[in-house]
Amino acid sequence: MKTATTPPAAPPAPPAAVAEARPRTLPFWANPRLGLVIVIVVLVALFSSLTPAFLDPRLTLAPLQADISVYVVVGLAQLAVLSLGHMNMAVGRMAALSTFAMGLAYDRLGVPLLVGLAVGLAVGAAIGALAGLVITKTGVNSFVVTLALDFGLLGLVTILYTRATDGVAFAVKPAGLAELRFDTFADYCLGEVCGPRVPLVVPFALVAVLAVGLLFRYARLGREILMTGANPVAAQLSGIPTHRRVVAAHALSGLLAALAGFLLAANNGAFSANVGESFLLPSFLAPVLGGTLLAGGAVSVLGTVLGATLTQVIYKGLNLLQFSLEDLKLYIGLVLLAALSLDRLRAVLAERRAVSSS
Amino acid sequence: MKNLVRTNEFTLAATAVVGFATLAVATDFNLLTAGTMDAFLSFLAVPMVIGLAQMVVLAVGQMNLSVGVLTGFCAMASAWLMVDAALPAPLAVLAALALGALVGLLNGLLVVFTRINGFIVTLATMTILEGLRYGVHGTGTYQGYSPGLRAVGQASLLGIPVVFLLALAVAVATALFFRRTVSGRRLLASGGNPFAARLSGISNDRALVLAHTLSGLLAGVAAVIVVAAFGSVNASIGDDLLLPSFAAPIIGGVALVGGVVSVTGTVLAAFLVRLVDVTQAQFDINRRWVDLIIGAVVLGAVLLGRARERLTGGAR
Amino acid sequence: MSVVLTAEKLVKTFPGVRALDEATLTVSAGSVHALLGENGAGKSTLIKLLTGVYRPDGGHIRLAGPDGLREVHFAGPQDAQRVGVGVVHQERNLIPAFSVAENICLQHLPRRNGLLDRARIRSEARRCLDLLDVDIDPDAPVSGLSVAHMQLVEIAKALSADSKVLLLDEPTASLTGDEADRLYAVVRRLCERGHAVVLVSHKLEEIFAVADTVTVLRDGRSVAEAEPLAGHTRDQIVDLMVGRAYQEVRLTPRTPDPTAEPALVLAGVATAAGHHDVNLAVRPGEILGLYGLVGAGRSELAKALLGLEQITAGEVRVHGKAARIRDVGDALRRHRIGYVTENRKEEGLFLSQTIARNTAVTVWRRLSRLGLVRDRAERALVAEYADRLGIRLASPDQLAGQLSGGNQQKVSLAKWLAADCDVLIIDEPTVGIDVRTKAAFHELITGLAGQGMAILLISSDLPEMVTLADRIAVMRDFAVVGELVNDHEYSRMSQSVIRLIHGAQEAA
Repeated sequence: MKTATTPPAAPPAPPAAVAEARPRTLPFWANPRLGLVIVIVVLVALFSSLTPAFLDPRLTLAPLQADISVYVVVGLAQLAVLSLGHMNMAVGRMAALSTFAMGLAYDRLGVPLLVGLAVGLAVGAAIGALAGLVITKTGVNSFVVTLALDFGLLGLVTILYTRATDGVAFAVKPAGLAELRFDTFADYCLGEVCGPRVPLVVPFALVAVLAVGLLFRYARLGREILMTGANPVAAQLSGIPTHRRVVAAHALSGLLAALAGFLLAANNGAFSANVGESFLLPSFLAPVLGGTLLAGGAVSVLGTVLGATLTQVIYKGLNLLQFSLEDLKLYIGLVLLAALSLDRLRAVLAERRAVSSS
Repeated sequence: MKNLVRTNEFTLAATAVVGFATLAVATDFNLLTAGTMDAFLSFLAVPMVIGLAQMVVLAVGQMNLSVGVLTGFCAMASAWLMVDAALPAPLAVLAALALGALVGLLNGLLVVFTRINGFIVTLATMTILEGLRYGVHGTGTYQGYSPGLRAVGQASLLGIPVVFLLALAVAVATALFFRRTVSGRRLLASGGNPFAARLSGISNDRALVLAHTLSGLLAGVAAVIVVAAFGSVNASIGDDLLLPSFAAPIIGGVALVGGVVSVTGTVLAAFLVRLVDVTQAQFDINRRWVDLIIGAVVLGAVLLGRARERLTGGAR
Repeated sequence: MSVVLTAEKLVKTFPGVRALDEATLTVSAGSVHALLGENGAGKSTLIKLLTGVYRPDGGHIRLAGPDGLREVHFAGPQDAQRVGVGVVHQERNLIPAFSVAENICLQHLPRRNGLLDRARIRSEARRCLDLLDVDIDPDAPVSGLSVAHMQLVEIAKALSADSKVLLLDEPTASLTGDEADRLYAVVRRLCERGHAVVLVSHKLEEIFAVADTVTVLRDGRSVAEAEPLAGHTRDQIVDLMVGRAYQEVRLTPRTPDPTAEPALVLAGVATAAGHHDVNLAVRPGEILGLYGLVGAGRSELAKALLGLEQITAGEVRVHGKAARIRDVGDALRRHRIGYVTENRKEEGLFLSQTIARNTAVTVWRRLSRLGLVRDRAERALVAEYADRLGIRLASPDQLAGQLSGGNQQKVSLAKWLAADCDVLIIDEPTVGIDVRTKAAFHELITGLAGQGMAILLISSDLPEMVTLADRIAVMRDFAVVGELVNDHEYSRMSQSVIRLIHGAQEAA
């Protein structure tokens, strides 16, 4: 069989083919993830030398980990649709609606903590899928659809809270929420051996990271989503059900937004109407810092984790140094801009080097 | 005539007239009393200008996430100039405009030189501006600045608030820019078909920078209106402007891909949103229904546009 | 006739390709000069050098001035326009939302008092349109014009800067015969007024009808230079264009079984795209050619077979069973029909993705366990097909966008071979591919048929058709107008095909 299809008169490699046979991989220093790690390490060293309180496990490190957990998941929620080259402008409001569903389940049905979480995740996935469906059915830009959805949910969530609660938050505290909020694994001991000082919310984020990483790296579903993002027409012509993949990615985004809402509610100790209000910008910040572009077709889950970590380290550190929240924004913005410009510079330099050496 | 009826602007205008008349009747013509009308139009000025500020960058297929915060920053800066630096109001107004244009220019230059998507660049500058806006005066509020400027902000001409007239003038100028100036046409050409524009000797980079600069300038104008009309400013100004800035042009029929603008549509859309707002206030409806309705209208407008495209496309 | 433009020994290299290799062109005033060559011969590159879109890596461009020919250097497209070289590119270059007048004057919008001088734009546009003797409303928006009128507006735009030389790159590709005739009448008129016109077209009949002189490019070189067209026959020109490449190839002989049950049958098929009463049948091991000019509806027919265009009447049978194909996934997995698209960059490949993913995308279902793709199986697959197809790759993780045209085409074919298709629709397989790779491709396609695959080959390349196909079905205006058994005698076959294209019905 092979002999039949291998051209017997295979021409000698034209000069062109030799030149292109060398893959233009970029040198290791052009990897944006490495830069993030270095910056994080430097900042941690800087903050801990400036204020020793930065290394206090109970006051700083544990809450820091809890915050990182929330914003990693928020970043992943956005990343799920960035993979398609889409955006989810309603990421915060999807979280808000899902936490409402959770709160309602705890309050009215008295379900256990994890059952309520499952209810919320289902609601998040459903509303995400709805966004995806509208996008595929109408062909309207994802930005517009999710923006409209954001307006709609903003109204809906507040109305729902007004109807179902005192207007702000559910009073109910399901069993286990307090532990999730305050405890770390160090509070649980097997005889002499106690766990590390890691908050209980961290494993939730970790599971999300591993699952999303696995999805986009190995799973057929994740890869087909990425291919759809890279070239929708080619994806369709390769037999990928592109519409279903778009819906799946948006459903995943909604599901992760719901998880982030749950983690934030756990950190705050209440299922309240303002969950998700601050999600939109960080949701872009983490993946973009981590090297995920808006074009679609490529994502970096690890980069998103590092991006979220970096922003939260800066917040925490400057906060300890008595900077106000708004000042922090200034620095975060500058870091983002610097990171992007350096990234671009690195890419240009690396490209040049690769070209000149080939 | 038939063509006119088919346009998005006509649909919007008809909706606006019908909506306005219905509301006027439903409120026993309370809407038409001087005080109510005054408030109606005064609070329409900022959304109009902000919508135009977003429209200008949409014209080249870009987005500007920093418009709202930039408005707040310019407002705070000009108030600071008047209160803390004791500068006369006209200078502070000019400074606000210049500051807006400068930040817009920076946005544009960053987009051109880094080749990074404008969405991300303005996301970064927006975050920076949030810090700067706060840095001007912390959580404090500026008030009692320049009685002259305040007077202008309160004044009416022939029963119409001056700030609204100012916004209208800005809209007319923007329309003139896109219809009648060479730069405006080049900007639109670049947004409509960058490759063809380049072959015709039009610099796409220059169009990008110009669009962002104008967007910043319009944010500066919005800041001046805020300072003049509101009488007091603090670091939260502009927080609630970002999403409406997209709503107005999108409802108004401006395409996200660039090349198409509609000043009339954007202004009418801002008017409609304001109408919903006032309805809510008049009937004491939960404030949140407004957002729900705006969301539905944004999507509805886009879907209508699609349907119209398909219909006219099929007719040809 | 005086020479107005010369190009001497122009060289242009792209990463991996020498697109122009000392090409030469001489153009005289008042004449239509045909620039011919196969796909990938370098015609469009030459046009882009002459109009300042690209800069040459070597050679000279000279232009007639008051004091004879002077060398010119173009920094950008506007430079070329300024000195009187106007062009209509293959791509549509109008701003849809703008008026006809504004599009025509876009390069130098006149101002008065700082504002757009609309009166002058209109009069200027009117002047250019008058040069063409066409009646188009200068105030109408371009988006509402017919394709033919858009083409005329593009020509008017190219003339707006008082162009002495006008370059037309495939101006009739999307026009009907009547529209093309009218366009060429305009071209002739321009010549009579002293303009020089360079015409690129793959429709030789049109060339013979309208052109005076001809330059033929092959592999980036001029093999015939400014020769009068009158002294040449069509066959001579074709020989010049393709060399003798199509005759030199010795393909593995195949003997498809004429009694075998057809793998794919179209019986009286009509589609929403406009096809009517299409009857075709391909047997295993057979190559059925589908020939026709651009716009005859061949690719659309392929897409209808994949469920992308609605089939409104008739029946599609796969291996004897009536098939309702919903989408490409359905075609691929249930009916084992694959489609290699003609637009490999837009529709065939994921340029930003690795070769491994580009190859395995159709078979991830098969390569995965519990929903996870087994990397090792994927790599083995890529290695197998890289080997079978002779794809030169440094690593399976190389990005598809970094490959040359020929290797890209092989990758875009590989995913269908990997998917084990019984029926393969191959659309314009060798567009933009150099002659040697082309030969390898031809061998590959016959090889696939030799293994029992049923192949529906769509091509506008007549020599290719005659080389490869067992039977040739000719399409015109979304209908099959005849079917010929291929006897591989080029001159006879091409005559018959051309006759069919131009209307004379002929039974198979």
